Amino acid sequence: MNDDELITALREQRGKVPMTTPVEQIISRGRAVRARRRVPRVAAALGATGAAAVAMGVAVPATNPAASHRASGPTVKLAAWTVARQADGTIRVTVREATDPAGLQRTLRADGVPVSVTFTDRRNPACQTSNGPLGNVAGYGPFGHLTNAYDHPQDAFRHTQDAFRHAQDAFDHTQDALVIHPSALPPGDGLQIWTSGASGAADNFQLYVALVKASPQCTGS
Amino acid sequence: MGAQRPDFAEFYRETKDECLFAVMVSVGDRDTAQDLVAEAFARAWASWPAVSRHPAPAAWVVRTALNAGVSRWRRRRREVPVADLALVADRPAAREPAGDCVDPRIMAALLQLPARQRQVIALRLFLDLDTERTAQVLGIAPGTVQAHLGRAMAALRNGLIPTLQEENQS
Repeated sequence: MNDDELITALREQRGKVPMTTPVEQIISRGRAVRARRRVPRVAAALGATGAAAVAMGVAVPATNPAASHRASGPTVKLAAWTVARQADGTIRVTVREATDPAGLQRTLRADGVPVSVTFTDRRNPACQTSNGPLGNVAGYGPFGHLTNAYDHPQDAFRHTQDAFRHAQDAFDHTQDALVIHPSALPPGDGLQIWTSGASGAADNFQLYVALVKASPQCTGS
Repeated sequence: MGAQRPDFAEFYRETKDECLFAVMVSVGDRDTAQDLVAEAFARAWASWPAVSRHPAPAAWVVRTALNAGVSRWRRRRREVPVADLALVADRPAAREPAGDCVDPRIMAALLQLPARQRQVIALRLFLDLDTERTAQVLGIAPGTVQAHLGRAMAALRNGLIPTLQEENQS
């Protein structure tokens, strides 16, 4: 048996386990997802920044007021992204639209996070993957979660988990949120944030995060 | 007028089995995979205007399902159990006619691979994504995809081919 035959044998398996959930059930579940999504959008807008602030495009946390996202109501608009420092020293980044990466980068750096942000498939070429114990910890996968946590030894994973932590219940991909723990970043390392897929509109991008070596050309310091 | 987007029900019918298998190989358990894939398809339905324009919607579903799995794991703070072979065989697949069941030796060999290698195998071989797209979906470099695929194939070759050849000879 050669590699081609092995591949054929592997591929033959994929049709042997049927997905038995009826499409009607999927759609019903989809409606629930859609309903869940609407509530936090409006709640976040009204709770975090206040109704007046949202309507005026002014926010308490650092936001990108130029871009906006129309929520379920006709007059409520959310910023494309929000950066909010938490009481525990962590920084919560919420990305709704992949616009104004320079503004997000500037805001995060001002908050003490060495970071490079590009909202395209083309990552900053000046950035080098960290050679620290975490290795190439890419994988803040589409719409929000570390994807290669299983690849790392336990220590690295704990470290990773501390460095990036996805907010509970923020899985909704139109409500991406990333919680950065600056104090947990390994010395000399920073973050690289980028997207794949179409930039701009919500739902059309995937957000990734990697640990990189901090440098003036990559992370600004 | 742009190209017509595929109907969700048609997309579901055509891709659900391969998505399930890809996720099952990654998480190691059919019931868990089925629930994760159902959730991912539900999210795809909720965002269908955008997802249908994705270059590889099935990959979007698989990636979303895997993310949901990681999220659950985080919440529970315990490892997603990688079922042993008996568990996989005894779950609903076992109710299917024997000839339609996954080859237990192949499943066992796949489950012995590291998680990332299983994900690469799932996307490259079971979803037929190319290296570039696989790299994008997993957020890793194309060269890393190639390396994982090479190691996975070598491991499968070493672990599987002697067994299959032995069976063919007997």
